[in-house]
Amino acid sequence: MKHIKKLSDYAVATGVGVLLAAGLSGCQQKSEESQQSSEIKKGAFVIIEETAPGKYKIKDEFPSDETRIVLKQLDGTEKVLTQEEMALLMKEEDAKIENGTSNLTKPKEEQVASQGMSLGETILASAAGAMVGAWIGNKLFGNQNYQNNRQAGYKSPSTYSKSANSFNKNANSAKSTPKGKSGFFGGGKSTSSSSSSFGG
Amino acid sequence: MIQLQQTKSLDKHYLEELGFVWHTDSDESSYIADRLVVISEEEAEAYYEAGNRLYEMFIEAGEHIIKNNLFHEIGIPFNLVELIKASWESEVHWHLYGRFDLAGGIDNQPIKLLEFNADTPTALFETAIIQWAILKKNSLNEEGQFNGLYEALIDNFKRLVTLEESVDAFEERYEGWKFLFTSIKGDTEEEQTVRLLQHIATEAGYETQFAYIDEIEFGKESGIVYEGETYELWFKLIPWEDIALEEPDLAMILKDIVLDQKAIIFNPAYTLMFQSKGMLKILWDLFPNDPLLLESSFEPLKNQKQVAKPIFGREGGSVSILNADGTTEAKIEGGYANHKMVYQAYTKLPTDTEGSSYQAGLFYVYESCALGFRKGGLILDNMSKFVGHIVR
Repeated sequence: MKHIKKLSDYAVATGVGVLLAAGLSGCQQKSEESQQSSEIKKGAFVIIEETAPGKYKIKDEFPSDETRIVLKQLDGTEKVLTQEEMALLMKEEDAKIENGTSNLTKPKEEQVASQGMSLGETILASAAGAMVGAWIGNKLFGNQNYQNNRQAGYKSPSTYSKSANSFNKNANSAKSTPKGKSGFFGGGKSTSSSSSSFGG
Repeated sequence: MIQLQQTKSLDKHYLEELGFVWHTDSDESSYIADRLVVISEEEAEAYYEAGNRLYEMFIEAGEHIIKNNLFHEIGIPFNLVELIKASWESEVHWHLYGRFDLAGGIDNQPIKLLEFNADTPTALFETAIIQWAILKKNSLNEEGQFNGLYEALIDNFKRLVTLEESVDAFEERYEGWKFLFTSIKGDTEEEQTVRLLQHIATEAGYETQFAYIDEIEFGKESGIVYEGETYELWFKLIPWEDIALEEPDLAMILKDIVLDQKAIIFNPAYTLMFQSKGMLKILWDLFPNDPLLLESSFEPLKNQKQVAKPIFGREGGSVSILNADGTTEAKIEGGYANHKMVYQAYTKLPTDTEGSSYQAGLFYVYESCALGFRKGGLILDNMSKFVGHIVR
């Protein structure tokens, strides 16, 4: 099969593995929230990427029922962190917060020429932080430096604002462009195409 | 006879976790077959070559339609013609993905084009994810599948920016243009298909969002706006002809948006030419007796068994099989009977021991990239099943 690309060649390196581990439920929740603003998802699905040896950034995150963290490592492999791994990381971070060496609680100017955060710090900066690190509690989440520093954990500022929006239940949806027209296909579909199709 | 391999089926709970919620048909039967079609490497290779050659033929036929103004002949609504021409002329209107439906290719039968779902193809989830998960679950050789769909889509999403075969320059050239993904509220399968595409686009590096079409604002000046954000890129799993016929105001605004370069829309409007079954007749005019084609005409064919299909029907609706003497052998009712009809020479689909017919779905994403099968009765309708494959 000289021309034919096979799925297994890249499945581990790309998102198919993530999909099989977590499904689309992550992205799915985003819109469900906009419809049912009262229901708050308890967990977060977070994709963290290793950007340099031992340094991590948040690539993407979505609300979801269950908290899952997928780690993309420098060598291109991907893994889902186990509860035990997360618990251990949180314990280490708790100690760092206690003795004042956590990048999350230091004011910006005191941070050593920051090349990124450790894995534990990145998890705490993510939306999953409030879940897996709940027991660290106010030590962290009440800390103003933590609130300021969280953004540094994201791969790009836009990832942060997108994420903040998707978790913000009160996001106001005020329409701002008077010239646009909306409501097309508001009555749903007229030519009903039922499920299980090879489709159109 | 088709060669099949029995497998353990995936459990429904797992499928739902993946987001694949349309696993059961309305008669409670499973939509995913628990058997795989076994094909050889040579057969996979032949599908690959056929898809690539067919696409070149479609490009040539598209050029022919535009040059000779044959839009009316193939049933294109007049209010899309300007948009189609504009999208054809500029390279930025890149074709994201399509799916050829093919007869033959297995069981020593020649590959024949049945139609090209170029505008709003589904079966993406089944082909890219589910049939691979079946291999995994059954500990079968994961390399044994002609299935590069996921990777091909990642690359082709990047090409929307690089506009060349190489995707290396994507990160350098992508300036943060926002990509909105859209379906019509109320159809889970379509919504999940769109969300899978959104997921893949995010993986490719785009900033993405999902919105139902009725929540989006469209304006000649303002462009495509959702929740106060303007989107430069828009994917819609909504047939162009539905936009033209049911929401002509939207069609007009979209034309202005594209002409004023406020946004780029996928799949581009010209894919509606490919989607039209009128194209089958044009192809036969341009490439008569080509081995990949079946004779097709706007008039009933003389003295031969044939299939009558509406120019823009979906899922077998209003399709009938006519015998050489003009009697009807099989017919699926549907809402498309008022459409112009295309008559295509009949070809028997490969069958299994139970008499089910099999049709190949070959995805084309810059090149042929993945295969899946569908099985059902004489005419494949919306009760047909998805069947994965394994290459041996």
